[in-house]
Amino acid sequence: MKKAILKVLALCMCAAMLLCSLVACGDKKNDKIVIGLTGPLTGGASIYGIAVRNSAQMAVDEINEAGGLNGIEFKLDMRDDEHKAENVANLYTGLVEDGMQVSLGTVTTKPGLEFKNLSKDDNVFFLTPSATGDAIPEYDNGYQMCFADSNQGTAAAEFFNENYVGKKIGIFFKADDEYSKGINDNFKAALDDSFDVTEANFTGDASTFDSQIATLKDCEIVFMPIYYTPASQFMTQAKSVDNSITTYYGCDGFDGIDAIEGFDITSIPQEISMLSHFNSTATEGPAAEFIKKYNDKYDEAKEPLNQFGAAAYDCVYAIYEALKVAVENGKEVTAETSASEMCDILTEVFNSDSFEFRGITGKCEGNEKSHISWSEDGTVVKEAIKYIVKEKNA
Amino acid sequence: MEFLTTFVNGLSLGGIYAMIALGYTMVYGIAKMLNFAHGDIIMVGGYTILLFLAVNPIVAIVASMIFCMLLGIVIEKVAYKPLRGASPLAVLITAIGVSYLLQSISQMIFGSAPKFIVIAELGILKIGGLSIGYSTIITLACSLVVMIALSLFVKFSKTGRAMVAVSEDKGAAQLMGINVNNIIMITFAIGSALAALASVFFLLKAPTMSPTFGSLPGIKAFTAAVIGGIGSIPGAMLGGILLGVIECFAQSVPVISPYTDAIEFSILIILLLVKPSGLLGKKRREKV
Amino acid sequence: MNKIKNIKWKNYINYIVIGLLTVVFAALSMFGGLKTSTAYLLEEIAIKIILAVSLSLVVGFLGELSLGHAGFMCVGAYLGGKVAALLVAPLGNGFLTLIISLLVGGACAGLCGFLIGLPALRLRGDYLAITTLAFGEIVRTIFQNTSAETFGGPIGLPTPRFEAKYFYVICFATVLITLFVVQNLIRSKHGRAIKAIRDNEIAARATGINITGYKLLGFVLSAVFAGIAGVLYSYTKFNVSSQIFDYNYSIEILVIVVLGGMGNINGSMIAAVLVTFLNRYLANVLTGNLAVLKDLIYALVLIVIVIYNNAPKLKSFREKYNIKALTDKLKRKKATEADGKEEV
Repeated sequence: MKKAILKVLALCMCAAMLLCSLVACGDKKNDKIVIGLTGPLTGGASIYGIAVRNSAQMAVDEINEAGGLNGIEFKLDMRDDEHKAENVANLYTGLVEDGMQVSLGTVTTKPGLEFKNLSKDDNVFFLTPSATGDAIPEYDNGYQMCFADSNQGTAAAEFFNENYVGKKIGIFFKADDEYSKGINDNFKAALDDSFDVTEANFTGDASTFDSQIATLKDCEIVFMPIYYTPASQFMTQAKSVDNSITTYYGCDGFDGIDAIEGFDITSIPQEISMLSHFNSTATEGPAAEFIKKYNDKYDEAKEPLNQFGAAAYDCVYAIYEALKVAVENGKEVTAETSASEMCDILTEVFNSDSFEFRGITGKCEGNEKSHISWSEDGTVVKEAIKYIVKEKNA
Repeated sequence: MEFLTTFVNGLSLGGIYAMIALGYTMVYGIAKMLNFAHGDIIMVGGYTILLFLAVNPIVAIVASMIFCMLLGIVIEKVAYKPLRGASPLAVLITAIGVSYLLQSISQMIFGSAPKFIVIAELGILKIGGLSIGYSTIITLACSLVVMIALSLFVKFSKTGRAMVAVSEDKGAAQLMGINVNNIIMITFAIGSALAALASVFFLLKAPTMSPTFGSLPGIKAFTAAVIGGIGSIPGAMLGGILLGVIECFAQSVPVISPYTDAIEFSILIILLLVKPSGLLGKKRREKV
Repeated sequence: MNKIKNIKWKNYINYIVIGLLTVVFAALSMFGGLKTSTAYLLEEIAIKIILAVSLSLVVGFLGELSLGHAGFMCVGAYLGGKVAALLVAPLGNGFLTLIISLLVGGACAGLCGFLIGLPALRLRGDYLAITTLAFGEIVRTIFQNTSAETFGGPIGLPTPRFEAKYFYVICFATVLITLFVVQNLIRSKHGRAIKAIRDNEIAARATGINITGYKLLGFVLSAVFAGIAGVLYSYTKFNVSSQIFDYNYSIEILVIVVLGGMGNINGSMIAAVLVTFLNRYLANVLTGNLAVLKDLIYALVLIVIVIYNNAPKLKSFREKYNIKALTDKLKRKKATEADGKEEV
């Protein structure tokens, strides 16, 4: 009997706790425009999320220092989704209830699929820096700053069709990763049939690739639609095998490969090149300026920059510029504008033909910033950069 | 030829798995707990090497082994020892807690970005058309030496005999005047030092380390130890090498490669059904 | 007479509490007083409760360690989710579709439980643990490598989402059903047989209990409810991806069961509520730079609670400073005060 009472007590306490903290208690009033997003801040994918957090925070700080949007400041609210879709619903509603007005969506694709559906119903505008999935900008409120998977795969295939005719092609991809598999499928579909293609793949957190290297060792060009950590492993381990590989070719996931602490990229004999929207090896122009600013502010070894960060920096500025255009067009934007109103204002600007954003991702000519605009379906229009991270050793 | 290359690659990977499994099986055999934090000790070992690498690679390896040994002892004293005599599941949960703890602490200290840790660049040995990395030879040789040393230690040294006694029956061992707490502490020290050594071989092969590195080798070691028969030292070696070879053969066929994990685990299940105590495990009869 | 009444009341207390809470929350959401985030959290809590109660059947009552609960959930989520996705067009996204997919998901998971349990339950202790873990990982890998048309491959299976505002009511109704089945089993003759097997298998065998049969019964039933939880999970997400059903997820559920106390269903339920709430709360409070503290706090809380609850040496301390002792002390104090007054 006593035990039963205790159980009731415990359950009631739980209930009381839940009730206190979970029941709506009036909307908080914003004094800043809140930009919310989720991304991996812990766990295996956290290098990407952390770069996004730092860069976006940097952009927000810069804008606020320069006076904000006619005096209204911005605030960044980023939460940790651990690269898991199941965490998004809770974080998204948390963000909305804490006053998020505009969003950068998610950093990675899988949580993004959840985010786009949730935000559709609430009509919340989002411009994702790096969720490359084709389905991300499906609804009217979603936009991408990065190139979509299909776009990257096709662009890479076109480059191969033009420049690598007659070569033996190898593909090394991550079979359980939607980004890698998505690019790979589109790449193969757009690649000329005359190519001789060999495939190898891996799954999970594998870091030893002996078998895959043995499969691909007779290829000349190896296409790697994967992230840079396994790629650097592959290259390092391939050094100890006789191979005829002359070039490693990657997509935007490669970006940052030259910045891995302790990885001596010059020790890799092959050419490493990539097709991306940001050149993290840039030594001049707006991209280089951004890289310098980032490295001055953050510890390069602990929280290195990659294209995710650059894209996030552009995202914040793009939203800022778009809001500025809207204000010039006579729209009223305050810290208390609701997310839905904000979405209508922003989509109108983003869909208009005249809106063009000048950013650091995409091709920058000299000291000019790049030209970035968006098509009606939410995908980005900018010029990709094909660049060589490291030349082939003589 | 290709078959042979894959086989050698498998041996090389298997040597590493064997090394981890040896430490794992030691701890399991004596403390009777699934140590889910074992993989994370490998990760800590890797980062310790990074800290001391500037001094000298050998110093770094020794420092890492000593540090992990101490860490193993501390973890045992703080998280596992208070639970001796409680349900084994409780220890399993604290082990998981320790695993999370080590991961988040190393993310705070070292950041989540992976780091390249090149201990040494070893060359390749060429025999005919076959090329074998020296790291492979060293890994295999070392794990063999460790296995033999451990077996001899357990069989002939006083402490080793005491370990066997503790693993057979804690209560009886205590009655015979064996200090059970000390024996378990020594086991954890040895197991953790072996984990540090395993991180050396991992780094020789694939020189990156990140805070979440430990989960994969942890689960592989568990699998290898079970295949060989948990608690059996030669079994751990055999299980590790078998697992490495299977993995390399599965990965060498692109169509099968995505299913590598599934294949390994299916083999494990089938093996356990045929031989319920693993390849070299002792069969125990249950008494009332 | 009085005694019988008391026992009955005690037996049904958890139904009453859950039912009342659901009604309270439903009333709140009808008047618009419930945050959307709370609705989502409640769904999640309900699913975790189903998982914890069903795992508790295997771990707490059968005494076998299973690390493959997420695998059964994965089967339920994918197959139930697929059925739901196919049925939405002809039947609409309503109760009929939901019930059919729940049945299909539960049945498929139960079948898997039967297939894996039949041979695996011969194994003891940690060998069974690794076998179930292996099963979970195999299931996950297979669903991960399916083609885009069948189960979506790495990107996952798009599943229909139920009207979010009220779905937790359905989830809690399922919790009640789960509780009803599991508790009735435990309290029946069969439940006593299951507990006898846990306490001493050889003695149980000697008394003529059908060991394999009862073990299978517990295992399959647990798999069925894991599958049902999986279907509910697929209904709360727009997209089900096998990535999350790894052994870490099984361990998360195991943590709940152990924290709640082995073989204590109400304890498991309370632990499910608290663990889920703690995780979600920390994720929303520790934002930006603080996110890394989340895992640290969770890990510390886990270690401390488990040691506090289970350490034999802390037993006397625990007995001195738990809620029961404190309330007893208060009562005694009141009693003596009352006595004192009387004396005056």
